[in-house]
Amino acid sequence: MDDLQFRRRIYADPNTREEDMLAAMKEDPAKQKFTQELEDLDSRLFKAMNVDVPDDLSDKLILRQTLASHQQQKRKGRVRLALAASVAFVMGLTFNFMQFSSAYSNLGDYAIAHVNHEKDYFSNTAPAIVSLSSLNTKMAAFNGTFTSDIGKLLFADYCRFDGMKSLHLVFQGETSTVTVFVVPRNEQLEFSANFSNAELIGNSQQFKHSNIIVIGDKNESLQQWQKTIGENVRWSI
Amino acid sequence: MSAQVSYNMATKQVRYEALVKALHGDLFRYAYWLCHDKHVAEDLVQETFLRAWRALDSLKDEKAAKSWLITILRRENARRFERKRFDMSEYDEASITDTHSASNEQEIENQWLRDKIAKMPEEYREPLVLQVIGGFSGEEIAKLLDLNKNTVMTRLFRARNQLKEALDDEPKVRGQYNG
Repeated sequence: MDDLQFRRRIYADPNTREEDMLAAMKEDPAKQKFTQELEDLDSRLFKAMNVDVPDDLSDKLILRQTLASHQQQKRKGRVRLALAASVAFVMGLTFNFMQFSSAYSNLGDYAIAHVNHEKDYFSNTAPAIVSLSSLNTKMAAFNGTFTSDIGKLLFADYCRFDGMKSLHLVFQGETSTVTVFVVPRNEQLEFSANFSNAELIGNSQQFKHSNIIVIGDKNESLQQWQKTIGENVRWSI
Repeated sequence: MSAQVSYNMATKQVRYEALVKALHGDLFRYAYWLCHDKHVAEDLVQETFLRAWRALDSLKDEKAAKSWLITILRRENARRFERKRFDMSEYDEASITDTHSASNEQEIENQWLRDKIAKMPEEYREPLVLQVIGGFSGEEIAKLLDLNKNTVMTRLFRARNQLKEALDDEPKVRGQYNG
């Protein structure tokens, strides 16, 4: 290796550990001496460059980071709280809406939906199992009584009629069951006197505190049913 | 899950503090030789470590930490120039001279050398600082400064050559610096 190249490389990196450089130093004491000089220069450079670092710098760095991440946590915390509050608020609204709003706007639509929903539970050929007296026990909740049987009663129980406690009666009809609802009068659903869909027809009769709704298939004479009911029902108030 | 999160936070904190303890000195010195001002250097190091904290998860290899931090610091320094458009390359002698007076031979020489280093062109000084203070190899410096290795080696050669000549030519100046 020629001297010039050696010097250039030592100048560039006095601490080189490259094989050919180390070999060249071994061969030539002058190169070794030169390397020594440059190492000496570097140690002087190091001393000069090694300026004092402020004593408290590392503490400051840690403190600043702690404050910054604390701020960040606080912001995150606030965002999370706001999110949780929004979710709770929306859930509350939804719950209220579902609880207190009607999916159906009038009596007829709701009544048909209710009957359709339960039609598989009732058979027209089932034996009559509910007596007049047990029917009247239930009617007492609506302050009403039936003076005599108005048909073969297959089923009688309270049910929820769009959220209102009501009485659900199922009678044997001409070709299929006839459903009678006794529903408290309420502004929530619009009164509909006559209604129907493809299979079912229905009509409603208003009494002082209750509506009576009769639903049956198209072979049924609902007028007759309402007439019989009207003649036999007695309201105590 | 929140236990996991706070565990991660704690680990991150420990990593960060270890980085600060191990490397803040080198970072500060490097910053100082970039800007020749202790206060600006301190600000640069603070900004650098704050950014490092935010991005700490992206640092996978602890051995690369020093060059990672130096890259952040160089970017911060460049940003400083974008923010304030005054020319910092005009070296201000007052800012580089230590205020407490040099008390012995060694300090006098250090002061004299600092002056020479500060007056060197930036392109020579930066690789030299990285090599002497940072302990980086030629390849590493080339990568940090986005230069090829030959260019870096040439600049290192010229930097030392200048300083050595200055030292050889003016051995007596150091003695008179006190006055």
